[in-house]
This record gives sequence, structure tokens and C-alpha cells, in this order.
Amino acid sequence: AAEPWPENAALYQQLKEEQILLSDNASSLAVQAFLQMCNLPIRVICRANAEYMSPSGKVPFIHVGNQVVSELGPIVQFVKAKGHSLSDGLDEVQKAEMKAYMELVNNMLLTAELYLQWCDDVTVEEITHPRYGSPYPWPLNRILSYQKQWEVKRKMKAIGWAGKTLEQVLEDVDQCCHALSQRLGTQPYFFNKQPTELDALVFGHLFTILTTQLITDELSEKVKNYSNLTAFCRRIEQQYFEGHEKDSSTVAARSSKTSL
Amino acid sequence: QSLEPLPVPGPDFGALGEEAELVEVEPESKQEILENKDVVVQHVHFDGLGRTKDDIIMCEIADVFKAKNLIDVMRKSHEAREKLLRLGIFRQVDVLIDTCQGDDALPNGLDVTFEVTELRRLTGSYNTMVGNNEGSMVLGLKFPNLFGRAEKVTFQFSYGTKETSYGLSFFKPRPGNFEKNFSVNVYKVTGQFPWSSLRETDRGVSTEFNFPIWKTSHTLKWEGVWRELGCLARTASFSVREESGHSLKSSVSHAMVIDSRNSSILPKRGALLKINQELAGYTGGDVSFLKEDFEFQLNKQLFWDSVVSASLWGGMLVPIGDKPSISYNCVFYLGGPTSVRGFSMYSIGPQSEGDYLGGEAFWAGGVHLYTPLPFRPGRGGFGDLFRTHFFLNAGNLCNLNYGDGPRAHLQRLAECIRWSYGAGIVLRLGNIARLELNYCFPMGVQAGDRICDGVQFGAGIRFL
Repeated sequence: AAEPWPENAALYQQLKEEQILLSDNASSLAVQAFLQMCNLPIRVICRANAEYMSPSGKVPFIHVGNQVVSELGPIVQFVKAKGHSLSDGLDEVQKAEMKAYMELVNNMLLTAELYLQWCDDVTVEEITHPRYGSPYPWPLNRILSYQKQWEVKRKMKAIGWAGKTLEQVLEDVDQCCHALSQRLGTQPYFFNKQPTELDALVFGHLFTILTTQLITDELSEKVKNYSNLTAFCRRIEQQYFEGHEKDSSTVAARSSKTSL
Repeated sequence: QSLEPLPVPGPDFGALGEEAELVEVEPESKQEILENKDVVVQHVHFDGLGRTKDDIIMCEIADVFKAKNLIDVMRKSHEAREKLLRLGIFRQVDVLIDTCQGDDALPNGLDVTFEVTELRRLTGSYNTMVGNNEGSMVLGLKFPNLFGRAEKVTFQFSYGTKETSYGLSFFKPRPGNFEKNFSVNVYKVTGQFPWSSLRETDRGVSTEFNFPIWKTSHTLKWEGVWRELGCLARTASFSVREESGHSLKSSVSHAMVIDSRNSSILPKRGALLKINQELAGYTGGDVSFLKEDFEFQLNKQLFWDSVVSASLWGGMLVPIGDKPSISYNCVFYLGGPTSVRGFSMYSIGPQSEGDYLGGEAFWAGGVHLYTPLPFRPGRGGFGDLFRTHFFLNAGNLCNLNYGDGPRAHLQRLAECIRWSYGAGIVLRLGNIARLELNYCFPMGVQAGDRICDGVQFGAGIRFL
């Protein structure tokens, strides 16, 4: 904890062009945004086996000095232990509120993304299976893909989402965006002047949804209904990512639509 | 290291008797002494055949008809009995030699009768196995002689101190030529390797052909394996963490073995030469390499019941293509009580933060002197299972830069040699395994190697 942030800190995720899926891309972008907001430099390294390298099995994870930390929550704690924090200025009530909204994003948005990727048959067949198994030879690509799908479906059953239809899921997304839009209002960030990890998380998910081409545009349309959310995304992109566009070793966000 | 798919997937050697028993000669009422008289074997009878087909029996006993005198008949019958037992389809084989009765009987005609008891259609077994420094409990189900020609289907489940595995195997020998056989195996093996902080799960399919050529026995094998690697602990080094994940290996391999030793555990004389090569990547999968390794051992008996033994191992792994995807399960490891003694298990060579990564080339050699225990306690009985043992081991393991020539490679393997010497006691466990307890002095230790100087215990099948 006493060591300063090293120059060669690295963030690992799956291969950007061919392999990474919507939900993982969103999580990775959220962490990148958070680190940008803390002004901590990080390199993005793409590996086909990033998911298996991670100690918790989830991407992204960061390799800082000798430590390996995965997922936004633990990364925020880790960064705080090194003396950087975005939410120090908040009081207890605000912190609790921030946690609640982050839970909302994780339970609603992330789960909806997973549902769309793994439980919607058309998306699974045309996008998810080809992408997820792309670094591997036949028949391993099929085996791994089916194995992951079975795992996600089991999780969906456990949280009660297995019975939902796509329309219901999109409704949930809409409600979530509505709540976020209401909280954001006309402020630049969720807690007025300064961005917090909540902003990073919301940006990661919404920006990825807006810029990823799926089978249909239904998901991104739900987000586009709320103009303050799209403005929020554009603002954060311009402030924290545009300047680094030319530097190829940082950041994965692009303003043009990336096809998934 | 490599994970062996299962214990004993190949030919199963049934109870090979060591004495020639159950050969009865019934004298005729005339009490003629038939020894050394010319005889003709007129009939060979079989009692007790059920589902076994005739053609494989015919091949095994064909020689009996060629016997010319009584001693020959006895010997050839005994050999035929051994061959029949080797098929692994009979629980018991008894041989009866009698003079010929009946109308067409010649005065010097003989009848040979084989009384056999076939194995049941399904047998179960429970064994404990000693592998290289680990023990396991093996449950097995076997269907011997499935279709009548000594085909065998085996299912095994092995639960061990380090690994759990199961597998299904189908074995078929060629009728008349048991050494020519093929088998198909499907398996799942899990292993833990604390010296590399690595956990490995292999699921695979393999098919192999065995055949003899003159005095050598050859094996040709295709194997497709789905390998999954993971970190054994959170403290695994990042180099090992980078290797986690899945890969598919599809490889063709060939092995040649010449073995003239009198036993595989503590042989007294004879030599062994094993040469193995494996080519991966040309039949699918995403791992490409060419791997060569050999094992040589020479034993000679000296005065006073002592044996001197020399052995040499070596191997090289050449990655093919531009994908540098050599994972830690394809490389060689060195060190340990079954390899260069005096060093910890597989703890020689390239390492990262305490995790040993193995190397692409290695060699190891040993010279041993085995003598009976001093003062020969328990002679003639239990004491004969023990030997005292003096050894000198040496070896080296490194990665090669394939841009340099072979000269540079030899030079790399010749510098920084690790070696050790010491003495100890060896215990022979049946014909399967051996235990060693040695006092070792490791030398030539390089930075990063982990040593085990002093007392070291080892159990296994294959020792340097």
C-alpha cells in the first residue's frame, strides 16, 4: 500500500476486435474510466485467456507491481489503499446512495447485458458463440462457449431471470435508465461537480451499450431515450478519453460504433 | 511432466506362473517310458471354451503340433499355456498330456488337453497404486474377452493424493500375435503441481497401435487432449498466471523400446533403450511442437551379488511455427527423488518467483552401485527385498534459443551442471515399484534451485 503507482501498471481484458463481449467490454471500460478519473496511468493488454488469468474469473483485472486485483469493487478499494480516492468528499449518506446506485447498475444493467448475450437465442448464435470461442480451434471453441452459456443460464435461474422474456428485460433496462436519469438530472456528474466511481461504472455500461452493434438496436434505443444520459457519456468521453485517442497503448473507447 | 492417462491401459498380464506346473503324464498300463522317444502330437483338445472364438486359440497353440519328443511336447505345451494366460481371458489353464486312444491312434501318438476356465464377463477390481511420489486408490471394471477374441473394455476410476482421474479403454490384440494390438482410450485426468503452482485438467482421446519389429517393440499413437491450466494458489507467479486457460493439443507420437533386462525394478543385468518422439499441431489443435526424448539404462552384475547400473536420459522440445505457445505441460522438468537426487521435486532450472517453469532441453545421468544389505540380515526372505545403494547423479535443464546452432545448445547444456552423490537403501515392492531412502549431497547448485540435502525419500516406478 505504501508503494507508489508504478509506470507499468497493466489492465488485462479479452481481445478487443474479435473476442470481447458486451458485458466484459462494459466492465473493462468502467475500470479504465475510473483510473483515468484518478489520474493513474494504465496500459491495456489484450489476451485471449484474460478470463482464466483473473483470480476471480472475471475481467478486467489489473496487474500493479506484484499484485493482481480484479473487478471494479476490489480495484476501488485497492486504489484507495494507495491513497487515491474519488469519493472521499462525500458524506455518509451520499456514500450509501452511491453504493445503492452501483448495486442497481450491477443488478440491472449488467444482468440485462448477460441475459441478452447468453439467453437470447439469435444473439447467442450469431454473435456470442462465434466471438467467445474465436481464439480457440475446433472443437474447443464450441465446448468453451457452451460451457459458459450453461454457467450463465444457471446463474440466471438462481436470480430468477430465467423466466423473463426479452421484452421484460428491456423494460428493466428502461427502468434502470430512468432512475439514473432522474438522479443525474442536469448535473455534470452524479454527485455534482466531481466524478466518482459511480460515474465510471455508469459510463462504462451506457457508453458500451450505445456504441455496440447488436442484432437489433432495441437496447441502445432504451438508453437514447434519456438525453441527459447520452450527454453524460459524451462529456466523460471527451474529458477523459479523447485526448488519448492517438496514444494506442491506452484506452479502448471509441466514439464510432464498434460492431460486436 | 506428463500426466499418464491411466494406470495400465494396455495389455494386461494375467497370472504368469513361474513354475511349470500342472503338466501330467499318465503312464499307459504297459508302463513304457516315453521320455526321449519320438512322439507325434495327434490331437489337441480344449475343455471349457465358452465365448472364446476358435481362431485365436488355434494361433496360440499351433506350436504344440510341431513337437517331436516328449520333452519338447512338455515345453511347447508350457509355452502355449503361458500364451493362453497372457491373453488375459482365462482364469486358469491346466495341461494334460496323455497317449492317444482310439482307432486312429499311432503307437507314439499323444493327446494334449487344455482345460481352461474362462473369466467371467464382468470383473471388478480394487488396487492401490504408487506413482511417482504419490499414491492412489484405483477402482476398476473390466469386461474381458468381450467378443470372443480377447478384446477388453476397461473402466478405471483413480482417486489419489494429488489427482483424480477416470477413463474408458478398449483393447484388441491381433489374433495369433498378441504383441500386435491396438487400443482406444477416453480419459479425464486432474493433477496438481505445487512446484509450479499449477493445476491441470486434461480431457482426451487417444488411440495407439503396438507392434514388435524384431527385438524392439513400437508404439504409434494419436492423441487429442483438451488441457486446462489454472493457478494452484493466489500467490502463483505472474508467468504461471499468464499460462492459465485452455488449449487443444492434437499430436502423433512414436515410441520404440528395446528391453533386455531381467526385471524393470532393480534389474541385475540387461539394458533398456527407449526413444520417443511426438509431433503436435499438424492434425489440429493450437499447440505445435516437436518433442524428442530418450532413456537408456545398462546393468551389470559384479562380484558378491552387487550390481552396477548406469543410466542416461535426455530430451529436447522444439516449438514449431511463430506462435510461442509452449505451455508448462509440454516442457521437461528435472530434479527430485526419482530424478537428480538431492534436489526438490522438479525444482531445477528456470523459475519465476519460486514457481518452476521447466525447460525445453535437458539431460540427466546416474551411476549406481547396488549391494545387499551389510551383514545380509533376513537373507533368503524379507532381507532380499532391500539393497544398499550408492549413487552419483548429474543433470541440466535449460531453455534454448533456436536461432543458435547445435554447438551453442550443447554448450548451454554443459555449463552449470547440477550433480549430487550419496547413499541409501532401496526397497523393492513386488514387480511394480521401488522405495528409496537416501542421504544426499547436492552440488553444482545454481541460484533458484531448491535442494533437499540430507535425507530424501522417494517412491515410484521410474528412477534415474
